[in-house]
Amino acid sequence: MTRKHVIVALAAAALATAAGAASAADKIKIGFLPGVVDPFYQVMQIGVEKAAKELGIEVVTQVPPTWGVEAQTPILNAMVARGDLNYIITAPTDKEQMVAPLQAALDAGIKVITVDTFLGDGDYVNGPVKFPISYIGSDNVEGGRISARGLAKAIGGKGKVYINSTNPNVSSVEGREQGFKEVMAKEYPDIKVIGPDYNLDDQNKATQQTAAVIEQNADLAGVFGTNVFSAQGAGAAVVNAGLGGKVQVVAYDATLAAIESLNKGDVSLVLAQKPFDMGYMAVQFAAADAAGVTSLPKRVQTGFAIIDKDNVKDPNYSRFIYKAQ
Amino acid sequence: MDPILSIRNLTKRFGGLTAVNKVSWDIYPGEVVGLLGDNGAGKSTLIKCVSGVYAADEGEIYFAGKRTNYQRPIDARREGIETIYQDLALANNLDVGANIFLGREVKRSYLGGLIKTLDERKMLTESETALNSLEIHFPTLTQPIESLSGGQRQAVAIARAVYWDARLMIMDEPTNNLGVPEQQKVLELIRKLRDQGVPVILITHTLPDVFAVADRLMVMHRGRKVTEKTTAQTNTQELVQYMVGALDDTKVN
Amino acid sequence: MADTAKIRFEAAGPGGKWGRGREILFRLSRLWAWVFLGLMIAFFVVAVPVYNGGSVNFLTVRNSQNILVAITPVLLLGLGQTFVIISAGIDLSVGWVMSLASVVSALAVRAAFNAGVPLFWSVVISFLAAVAAAGIVGFFNGVIIAKLKVPAFIVTLGMSFIVRGLGLLWSENTTVIGLPPGIRAYGNEALFYFIRGEGGGFYFFAPPEISGDMLRRMDRILPYPVVITAVVVAIAMFILRKTQFGRHTYAIGGNVEAALRAGIPVDRRIIQIYMLSAVTAGIGGFVSTLRYTAGSAVIGDPLLLSSIAAVIIGGVSLFGGAGTITGTVIGALIIAVLTTGLVMLNVDAFWQFIVVGAVVIIAVLIDQSRDLIIGRRKPGRA
Repeated sequence: MTRKHVIVALAAAALATAAGAASAADKIKIGFLPGVVDPFYQVMQIGVEKAAKELGIEVVTQVPPTWGVEAQTPILNAMVARGDLNYIITAPTDKEQMVAPLQAALDAGIKVITVDTFLGDGDYVNGPVKFPISYIGSDNVEGGRISARGLAKAIGGKGKVYINSTNPNVSSVEGREQGFKEVMAKEYPDIKVIGPDYNLDDQNKATQQTAAVIEQNADLAGVFGTNVFSAQGAGAAVVNAGLGGKVQVVAYDATLAAIESLNKGDVSLVLAQKPFDMGYMAVQFAAADAAGVTSLPKRVQTGFAIIDKDNVKDPNYSRFIYKAQ
Repeated sequence: MDPILSIRNLTKRFGGLTAVNKVSWDIYPGEVVGLLGDNGAGKSTLIKCVSGVYAADEGEIYFAGKRTNYQRPIDARREGIETIYQDLALANNLDVGANIFLGREVKRSYLGGLIKTLDERKMLTESETALNSLEIHFPTLTQPIESLSGGQRQAVAIARAVYWDARLMIMDEPTNNLGVPEQQKVLELIRKLRDQGVPVILITHTLPDVFAVADRLMVMHRGRKVTEKTTAQTNTQELVQYMVGALDDTKVN
Repeated sequence: MADTAKIRFEAAGPGGKWGRGREILFRLSRLWAWVFLGLMIAFFVVAVPVYNGGSVNFLTVRNSQNILVAITPVLLLGLGQTFVIISAGIDLSVGWVMSLASVVSALAVRAAFNAGVPLFWSVVISFLAAVAAAGIVGFFNGVIIAKLKVPAFIVTLGMSFIVRGLGLLWSENTTVIGLPPGIRAYGNEALFYFIRGEGGGFYFFAPPEISGDMLRRMDRILPYPVVITAVVVAIAMFILRKTQFGRHTYAIGGNVEAALRAGIPVDRRIIQIYMLSAVTAGIGGFVSTLRYTAGSAVIGDPLLLSSIAAVIIGGVSLFGGAGTITGTVIGALIIAVLTTGLVMLNVDAFWQFIVVGAVVIIAVLIDQSRDLIIGRRKPGRA
């Protein structure tokens, strides 16, 4: 078992004890406020709802229609103003700008759990932001590293690669870019990294940006799309240019579209996160906290499933594809 | 009596076309003079040279004894030459007072000139005075003027010109698009202007209007002045002949 | 002397004083936005507790302040836009000007504070920097529109791309962070504090040092962003209704030819109008930096269309010449009340777009029908 699996197991054990206690505790109400409408957060919502059902907890869910603090904050404030929520599980859309609004939620008596993205630097023990109960999400830096090694292998260890990403100052994609660049710099000196470009969560823009890069770089060997829209958009650009299978694409986030591209050979590697686990655990943490558990870990790393052509049909891996279950 | 407006050998060309060709004309205070001619005769162009919209190519214009050299219409207006164009140049979304004072709003100062606000009450009372002096009565002065009829809006345009002490009024087709009763009212206003000593140049196609209010008239054809008469001396058929070029006093030897 | 009777222009046909019925209809058409807002609030006041089984109320102190805070960005964009649309123009750059101003004010406050300037003055410098940057953009907008006679739609659209690029450039493609920690108070504290229940009371200006249960029962009343916005709204109202500049704005929108012939300095006014529009957007960016303790080059983009929607719902005609600041405030309130209410009814957020879109269309239809009510003539006819 790797270290991260141990952490997850410990957390689960703590929760198992707490869950029993929680069902006897007062009914709590949880608000769920993810980042935006997309398949990743939809699977997370399924996880949230399953845990809530099992524990008999009511969840109020609101999904911002666009990504950004101006979309997320009014919804957050309205949820706080309801006055009946005890916890908010959220994916903050900016690691600095959402600090003030979420601090205000805490002041109003609502405890915060962040999923997928973090506030400050993600270290809620020693970092600048300490008030959330926990940060439950992938190790995005490690995910970036895995993507880099996967892409490097697929292109034979040398050539030009391009990163297409969503928004700056978002902890999740930032970590992936960081890990990716780190591995490329240290382990693959013959690989040159272009980008990242930010598509601001607009898949069409991702396609345009990638197409432009393809135009300017006839020797482009690989593309890394750092999340759902980036991967889908960038992948589409590669296919549109007729380079499917020739330019290798590594896609973060296992949407059905990404898997389809994998099956067609346009994408060589898909990193599936475990949003279901994130949502599920977050609810359990809330219940445990309400029951008085004080030993909840402040950082839980949910793992990856690395899906490629060889294992995409294996149910152990395919179950991590983001689809409505 | 000296003429208030004196045009000497005015010529205006647009490219190869001579729109106004050596026209000389005098207007005296307290008269209404008709300016007639078919389309393309040069009436509008002549008037625009007087009111500062165009600069003449040759010839001079004297207003109140002084040679004029207007660069923009507002210069002519400052001297007291008011022109009411066919489209009236009124702001339909504003009320009567706002229109009369358009561009020349009355302001009140506060804090030693730091803050200036509109003096709406003063503008309203002044507007009422102006309208009363022309004996025009509107049922209400505070609605946007788009709710008024064509003749009423003409009246507002005329009242505006009068308020600002027009020394010469030029009216371009004032009774177009008006119903018969309103035409009469506008003509009545023109008479009142003359009674107050304001000379009026009336450009019109409507010959009955000329005979109704004008003392004298001038006819242009193809850029040249072809005749100048008092209205008593002529009749409709003769004027039509001048307008179409069948008659031409300047060609009589 | 002939007939000395007054020349009377009586009510005959479409002209003259309106009949009682028509006047009522016209006033109603102006007030429909107020009525709609009232009905919407009443609906939520009833529906929210019913849907949530009595545990949630709509018109709480906290929620009303939330709504006031929520209208701040849209309203600040909409105030300048009101002037622009009344003058028969449009400013499509305000969203990105807000973003640029957010970046500029963040950079400025960080630089000033790190150079040793006390926090308050750093914030003042930050405000001035935001306004100056915005004003320069507005100046260029106005000059190109007035002097080069390029349509406002095109100029402001093109300018928005330039401004957007500048914002991303100066923020180095990320959020501008590292602002002095005291900034958060400027953006989130309030004029008054009210603590409900036991040991409670009113506090003015300084938040009481409390925690735990009492902190939970504390509501912030009139947060500073709301105060700033209220001041800007008051100034805008004054300018539009009471000054010559405001009157000229209406005139230019009503009949620009008439304005020119009347000697109104139309070019100068247009430049001033677009500068005003940019400056209010700039203040919006400054406020956003305070609220979120960071400068963001992307913050304003989604707000542009909401600000135009607020202006239209508020009764400003897209053809120019009509509209009020109060109307824009009502329009912004309608959008914010809607969003908040839908969240409290647990309705999916995207429904707000559908409803706002419908309300905008209703607003335009009512504006058009006003033409029929008063027999408005098309511009250009004598």
